[in-house]
Amino acid sequence: MTQVAYGVWDGVVHDRQAGQATLEPRNFDEFDEGNPIRAFFGDRGFFVFDESVSLVDALYHYMRKAAEQSCGVCTPCRMGTVLVRDALDAMRRGLDAPLDLDQIAMLGEQMRETSLCGLGQTCAVALLDALGHFRGRIEAELAPKRPIRAQHGMAYMTAPCIEACPSKVNVPRYIDYIRDGKPENSLGVLLQKYPMAATCGRVCVRYCEQACRRKFVDEAVGIKTLKRFVADQQSGPNALEFTRDMIRKPLDPAMRVAVVGAGPAGISCAYHLLLRGYHVDVFDKASQAGGMAQIGIPAYRLPKDTLALETEIIADLGGRFLFGQQLGRDFSINDLFARGYRAVFLGLGCQAGSRLGVAGEDEARAGYFSGIDFLLRVHDHVAGKVPLSLSGEVLVVGGGNVAMDCVRSAIRLGAGRVHVLYRRTRADMPADPGEIADAEAEGVTFHTLCNPVRVLTQAGRVTGVVVAQMEQSEPDDSGRRKVRPIPGSEVTLPCDTLIAAIGQQVEDGSRIEADGIALDRWRCVAADDALTTSRPGVFAGGDCVTGPSTLIWAMADGLKAARNIDDWIQRGSVRFYKRARMRKLIADNDFLANDVVETPVRNAYRVHNPELDPELRKRMFEEVEQTISARAAYAEAQRCMRCYRVYTVLTGHPIPEGAV
Amino acid sequence: MCTSGPDTPGPDAPETVALILNGTPCTGRANETILSCARRHDIYIPTLCELDDIDHTPGTCRVCVVEIVQAGHDAPQIVTACNTPIRDGMEVRTRSKRARDMQRLQVELLMADHLQDCATCIRHGDCELQDLAQFVGLKENRFFDRARTEARPIDLTSPAMVRDMRRCVRCQRCVAICRHHQQVDALAMEGTGLDRLVALRGAEDYPSSACVSCGQCVLVCPTGALGERDETDRAIDYICDPDLVTVVQFAPAVRVAFGEEFGMPPGTNVEGHIATACRKLGFDVVLDTNFAADVVIMEEGAELLGRLKAGRRPTFTSCCPAWIDFAEIHYPEILPLLSSTRSPQQVLSAIAKTWLPGKLGVAPDRIRVISVMPCVAKKEEATRPQLARDGRPDTDLVLTTREFARLLRREGIDLKTLEPSGFDSPFLREYSGAGAIFGTTGGVMEAALRTVYAIVNGRELEQIELTQLRGFEGIREARVDLGGQVGEVRVAMVHGLGDTRALVDSVLAGRADYDFIEVMACPGGCVDGGGSLRSKKAYLPLAQKRRETIYAVDRAARVRQSHNNPQVQALYRDFLGAPNSELAHQLLHTSYEDRRRELKHTVKEIWDDITMSTMVY
Repeated sequence: MTQVAYGVWDGVVHDRQAGQATLEPRNFDEFDEGNPIRAFFGDRGFFVFDESVSLVDALYHYMRKAAEQSCGVCTPCRMGTVLVRDALDAMRRGLDAPLDLDQIAMLGEQMRETSLCGLGQTCAVALLDALGHFRGRIEAELAPKRPIRAQHGMAYMTAPCIEACPSKVNVPRYIDYIRDGKPENSLGVLLQKYPMAATCGRVCVRYCEQACRRKFVDEAVGIKTLKRFVADQQSGPNALEFTRDMIRKPLDPAMRVAVVGAGPAGISCAYHLLLRGYHVDVFDKASQAGGMAQIGIPAYRLPKDTLALETEIIADLGGRFLFGQQLGRDFSINDLFARGYRAVFLGLGCQAGSRLGVAGEDEARAGYFSGIDFLLRVHDHVAGKVPLSLSGEVLVVGGGNVAMDCVRSAIRLGAGRVHVLYRRTRADMPADPGEIADAEAEGVTFHTLCNPVRVLTQAGRVTGVVVAQMEQSEPDDSGRRKVRPIPGSEVTLPCDTLIAAIGQQVEDGSRIEADGIALDRWRCVAADDALTTSRPGVFAGGDCVTGPSTLIWAMADGLKAARNIDDWIQRGSVRFYKRARMRKLIADNDFLANDVVETPVRNAYRVHNPELDPELRKRMFEEVEQTISARAAYAEAQRCMRCYRVYTVLTGHPIPEGAV
Repeated sequence: MCTSGPDTPGPDAPETVALILNGTPCTGRANETILSCARRHDIYIPTLCELDDIDHTPGTCRVCVVEIVQAGHDAPQIVTACNTPIRDGMEVRTRSKRARDMQRLQVELLMADHLQDCATCIRHGDCELQDLAQFVGLKENRFFDRARTEARPIDLTSPAMVRDMRRCVRCQRCVAICRHHQQVDALAMEGTGLDRLVALRGAEDYPSSACVSCGQCVLVCPTGALGERDETDRAIDYICDPDLVTVVQFAPAVRVAFGEEFGMPPGTNVEGHIATACRKLGFDVVLDTNFAADVVIMEEGAELLGRLKAGRRPTFTSCCPAWIDFAEIHYPEILPLLSSTRSPQQVLSAIAKTWLPGKLGVAPDRIRVISVMPCVAKKEEATRPQLARDGRPDTDLVLTTREFARLLRREGIDLKTLEPSGFDSPFLREYSGAGAIFGTTGGVMEAALRTVYAIVNGRELEQIELTQLRGFEGIREARVDLGGQVGEVRVAMVHGLGDTRALVDSVLAGRADYDFIEVMACPGGCVDGGGSLRSKKAYLPLAQKRRETIYAVDRAARVRQSHNNPQVQALYRDFLGAPNSELAHQLLHTSYEDRRRELKHTVKEIWDDITMSTMVY
């Protein structure tokens, strides 16, 4: 049944009866278990797998979604979607329609050719394809003038930036609200997904911007910059208030959930559990909330009061923080269940720094840090607890964001010269390119294709590193080039401080294992797609499952875990989630293609956050980037092309309702 | 809605792009839009939402569609001319059958939820949408749905303006002018799909909104969606009521910004025509607000001198009601710096309700004061509780210039054919050149300095025209030596609320050093006030002509300083005593109120308002 019976995709007609090319899209066997996919409609055309499908009814459902999602800014989409929807609705009911098929085609073409944004430009493509190539089928459906039997299925609207975002933030929508003059609604859109908007607006790695189609015109939209603009309204006189009436339905006091770890994953999970009415206690070994966002991100990128404002939301909603409580030392998971918690979420993070694993490392007792330990010391320094100062040469090994945080902090602590050592090329560095550029502007020296082979010490104090030059191999089948040391290329780099920022692991893994939680072969907490662990009622997410990753992934996991914990407590199992299934269908087939922009668009380059001068900022831990002005925000919001796309699927049976 | 991108080529940019426009090879500027290139080559493309004068190309109406063939492409494409850049080798066809059909269909779609009771619309006969329908040759209206259209809201909560969404075409010009130019930011776009409309930002009604009633939104609206609250009926009721004595006054700017409505050249001084028209209309007493402007100078000048001597600086003028609203709503902390002198309209109305009845021998409660103003904020000013007497407003009715034109038409009067005449009333109508120039930016300052100089020095300024105060930059500053005890004063003049905001911010931050600051909320001052005649597809096109006439009125005036106006002197001698006397204070001064808006919301309220985005993961 996965072979297309007929359809049009990218303008190519498929018709099995006529012997015209047909294709077999991937992963189309069934939507949910035992529920065959009968047809699929999208922005580039449609496929029908089951000859008995009603095109009229299917096109009505598609256009209904488009009309429901039309923003109303431009004339053709605002009016066209409604007129076409109403005409198709009358047709499927067997009534006299206000428009005939020619008029529907005329409006469809007007929408496709003249609409302002991606929704209007694409929402009539399948309609026009059906009318253009399979009009006989439509006329045959209409001939009896009788109601057409309703069909099962679902509609889904998305955009490349939404699909790229782990939290599936409705990016064009929050940009719309800025454009409309409602930044508070824009923030509201963000708060639907996570409470830490100002934090995310500062440190997010911006998967959305990588997917942004504006880059085919000039540069990606400054989505993160806009996020920060709206989130920073929270520090002004018009700050939104978090009140308990946000909670959907308060539950019985016995409905308690324990969240272990007050980092981004834990905060996000607690937030969504609280909104669902649960009573949530958040345990953390530290004395304040934020996890890696607190200790791992230096103040010049994320001021601590900004973070505190956002973690406080948990308390505003009735959540409780229990600080100084470390899993495996102060309590066990058994204890939590014994205290009456119905479920547990582990957002433990990866807070143990990985070691270089080279000779001499064990002897280094002074002047040697792991990246994470160093950032913790920096945190205590900025907090005024334990002063830290550096001098001389500082070497940081690694090319990720933690390495960048280490070098930029080292400069601020008075280091004479700061170096990055990275075993691959500059282009391979996993750190945000903006961070690399900022570090360079502050005077950091980069040494790429080199790797430490031995740590030199004198009486336990680091004095230098022996470094081997690396070379790239030829690309393998996957196109990836490996690196290998060049024999005899070793040189000695003297240094006063060595920081190994090459990775992190879950802390105290063995104690967690002893509590009945299986770890995987990377010593991370083993969890499946639904974030359930080996122990019933215990869910996990964020870095402790994925290894060191990003804030936005951790927050996405928190939301997903909250939804699944809710399902597990209320129903004993985690439900099928239809939107995720739709996303997989789109991803597996690359339906949301990264196509070019075909008509000319005027160049308008993105605005940038004002920054402190590198010479000034490298002496202090005050925030480097500033918020953009309202005027700049309006201009930047205007650059969004709103690449919305509607997809619908028809199925044999009703699609089960998932959690919301 | 935003201003165009940073790459907009300037007027001197070289023409480096070769393209074909309607079959003719021509050249254009890099990154220039098809629309601006076509206009430079005198090719008309229909537009609606776009307004070049305010740099507004939101691309929302989609009417300006044209066909293009890009270099290297075979198939023609349809694009909007307003926001598509020209490219080398591009061929543009503005009149192809496909483009024309799509232009027409677009207008028909715009009409599908536009209330087309055109004859009842204040914009009838002067409407950009009507023009557009004519251009595209609209012959049918297949999609119009009256129920759908009439379900769109109409906002009647302002005493000054009406926001009728049944006639809105969602061009967003009003939002742009309010947000980017006036920087009041009182408007927001709200709703989705067919519910898309212009709303007050963070407020349900005008009284609780950030709107200051400057009316610049009305000047840019292409249709009848935004307009003044029409009160011509009430004016006729007053005129036709035999028990009432109607007193009319008209503002300095009206006489130079009115003739074009009746086919006279822009900037014609129609003062005499207006006097004749008022008599024909049946007003009982015709007064001139210019006279009151002279009285304002006497009061404000004395007040300013007193404040200068007390070291209180700066002092802001108070004659512009939209500025007063702006200060009360957006900068209440600055209110103590405002002059307490009432505006000329209110000064004249106060005298008309207190002094005039005795002169006329009629009971005050039979008098109705009607003022004709180039301003919608004056309507709101007239309703201020501080300006009422015995429960009745001093100014009973304010007509904008536009309503005054409507009133004339309703009475069958063609201004152009009238014989100009003088005023028949023996008082409250003579004015000095100083009172006349109130109508333009810098005028109040110049008038005040002429009088203050004379008070300080006991003699008149030699160079009476203070040309250093004239000009059209948003913020102008000057130093004027007033001599005597006062010496040199630093003055500033600002027009347009965007620049006003910048100036007030710098005063509050202690960065500005001024003694006296004149503020006019509308760019250009009252000659282009929010109540003046509308233009189509243009913003403030006649500002300079009107201004020149105002200065010509000053030059032609017999008396050029307020304190030398014999009727003003008589008023003080016979009635008020001296400027800032107790009686003058009671009648001619006012107070202000902190009306700062709270835009506080809970997340819950915001979530309830959000559409098209959900919590669903």
